[in-house]
Amino acid sequence: MKIRQLSRSEIDLLRINGCSADDWSQVAITEPVIPERYRNVRFSGTVTISKQDGTIEIDKSIVRPCGIYDSFVKDCQIGENVFISSVKNLVNQRIGNNVVIENVAELVNEGETTFGNGTEVEALNEGGGRTILIFDCLTSQLAYLLANYRNDIKFIKVLEQIIRDYIRTKKSTVGIVETGVRIRHCQIIRNVCFRQYSITIGAAFLQEGTIQGCSADPAIIGEGVVAKHFIILSGSHVDDGAILDRCFVGQGVKIGKQYSAENSVFFANCEAFHGEACSVFAGPYTVTHHKSTLLIAGMFSFFNAGSGTNQSNHMYKLGPLHQGILERGSKTGSFSYLLWPSKIGAYSVVTGKHFSNIDAGDFPFSYITEENGKSLLTPAMNLFTVGTRRDTDKWPKRDRRKDPNTLDLIRFDLLSPFIVEKVLTGIDVLTKLGESAQRTQEVINYKGLQIKRLLIKSCARYYEMALKIALSEEVVHRLERLPANTMLNEIQKSLTFDDKVKNESWRDISGMIATNSSIQKFMDEIRAGKISTVNSTLEHLKAIHQEYEKTAGDWFLCKLEQRLGIEISQILPGQLIQIISDWKENRLKLNNMILKDAEKEFDFNSQIGYGLDGDTETRQLDFESVRGTFDNNTFVCDLKQESESVVVRAEKLFAKLNEL
Amino acid sequence: MEKADVRERVKSVVAKVLKMDINQVANDANFIFDLGADSMQSLELVAGFEEEFGIEMDEDKALRIQTVEDAVQFIAGYLN
Repeated sequence: MKIRQLSRSEIDLLRINGCSADDWSQVAITEPVIPERYRNVRFSGTVTISKQDGTIEIDKSIVRPCGIYDSFVKDCQIGENVFISSVKNLVNQRIGNNVVIENVAELVNEGETTFGNGTEVEALNEGGGRTILIFDCLTSQLAYLLANYRNDIKFIKVLEQIIRDYIRTKKSTVGIVETGVRIRHCQIIRNVCFRQYSITIGAAFLQEGTIQGCSADPAIIGEGVVAKHFIILSGSHVDDGAILDRCFVGQGVKIGKQYSAENSVFFANCEAFHGEACSVFAGPYTVTHHKSTLLIAGMFSFFNAGSGTNQSNHMYKLGPLHQGILERGSKTGSFSYLLWPSKIGAYSVVTGKHFSNIDAGDFPFSYITEENGKSLLTPAMNLFTVGTRRDTDKWPKRDRRKDPNTLDLIRFDLLSPFIVEKVLTGIDVLTKLGESAQRTQEVINYKGLQIKRLLIKSCARYYEMALKIALSEEVVHRLERLPANTMLNEIQKSLTFDDKVKNESWRDISGMIATNSSIQKFMDEIRAGKISTVNSTLEHLKAIHQEYEKTAGDWFLCKLEQRLGIEISQILPGQLIQIISDWKENRLKLNNMILKDAEKEFDFNSQIGYGLDGDTETRQLDFESVRGTFDNNTFVCDLKQESESVVVRAEKLFAKLNEL
Repeated sequence: MEKADVRERVKSVVAKVLKMDINQVANDANFIFDLGADSMQSLELVAGFEEEFGIEMDEDKALRIQTVEDAVQFIAGYLN
């Protein structure tokens, strides 16, 4: 398409349409020129316009002729078939094809910008020192390493340089509005990059940011949003008066209902409504829905904050410099309070107010409750609650990300090696505490917590149950993959594992479960300059993520071998039958315990407030019509079905092994 | 062991764990509905029975014990 200056007659026609220009010679246009597609436009500086001969759908069933109407346009390159209408100041923008910009007070670019890339976010520790450089393909893994591996000064320095090199490529003196973008009914927008197909409707103030998108999964910014120094990635919705300052919003995140956040990062599938975040590292699936909920100076993932959840990071001494860690899958009850620094183990529930610094990192699946002003720890209690099981089932189903390039690497397994390693530690610690306790002792003190002595043995037994399930499950999986009539030596071969896993330890890198050695190797390569770009950094992390299943399986077998004291590659059919029998027994036992917990949701106590104006029968009928019955509950039915399937699977394997 | 003996010792454990007078523990009392035990105290009761009688109760079955009499029957059956 040839771009050319306007002819005299075209300028005359545009003038008749109410258009004017500082200098018409600076306005270039692509043929065909259709003068009626330009009305009441003031052109200023250098403006180039591609052809405007089509129509565009600006909202559902509202189709308008492309062109520029009632706007002031200065120093802009405008793509094909756009609809620009009622824009008071459209300045210094590169606008792609099929874009709608309508009813906007100001869309300008001033000076040089990186569109929020390179913003330093003081996450996790409000006092600083764990700065995360945000950019438009930051993952929860990179952010985790940047925030938490500060002990390795060289690694951080090199990694930050890699990121800064990438950020330099984002420098621009021109605003960017890419193909398919919709910007409607907004107020002030300065130095913002709108990537493909992103939608911004009704935003109040956007400054120094990137709104990422793709046709499969546009980012959507809604009414009343105020955002400064930000990155918002594909599939995310930020709306309803949310206020963001120095924030990163990853893929598939929902932030709205007047939520306010500063110096915080939110990764895949987080949800934040009503409350407040300050220096928060919200790993994947961090959810806070309620008013009066403050998350401050903490790191979370797969987390659910009860209403009024609060933490203190400022002890009015040296400043707001304390931080807290809630490992994956934790929950805080309504009006719970935690004093930082504290650490809560994975899949734990915190209720009540805790005025001591507590460290329950060795105890996954714990209940941390308040009793007479003291923090009481009941390890393993949350292993067999219906909530833990339900959460684990729901997270993978709630992955909203549709972008073909998913960034955060996430493992959902409940009994991953990371958790099982903690279970092993938990058993060890409980055993030692139990051995050293006196029978007269009611409680045992441990890292700011109290554990009821009576429960020590039971808690260790619950952990043992989880351990047996996790380790023997790998044997079951491997045997199930073998064809019928497999000979014993082939079975034994299928149960071999790589010796390298023997001394492995596991990490939860904000959603990605990985071995310590793979992370160390990655860091070595960063330090040595073998990985030198953001792209290769992300590729290396993906490769680590993909190693998981093989390495985790090998590690489980290795641990099983150590615990049984046998050489698993020489295992005999009788020993395999025992392992499968244990697996079956413990899976069924755990499911039954979860069912027992679910049953409480239907018992007489749960019916309080039902059948308000009637008798017991009314109460029962009212409850059943609203909540259903235990036997018909979908979760309960699924779990019962799963138990039946466990029995069938075990029987099949027994039959196979008995034939050997 | 006689059931009556088991019953007295069960009631003693219940009173200790739930911090109440043993006379308030009726034979047919339900731990949750009558004696106000929460889910963690229910576990503590099981652990208390285990320690008192030197037994190990199956986790799954133990959670089904809801009354003093359930506990007495279970433990007496186990011991015999």
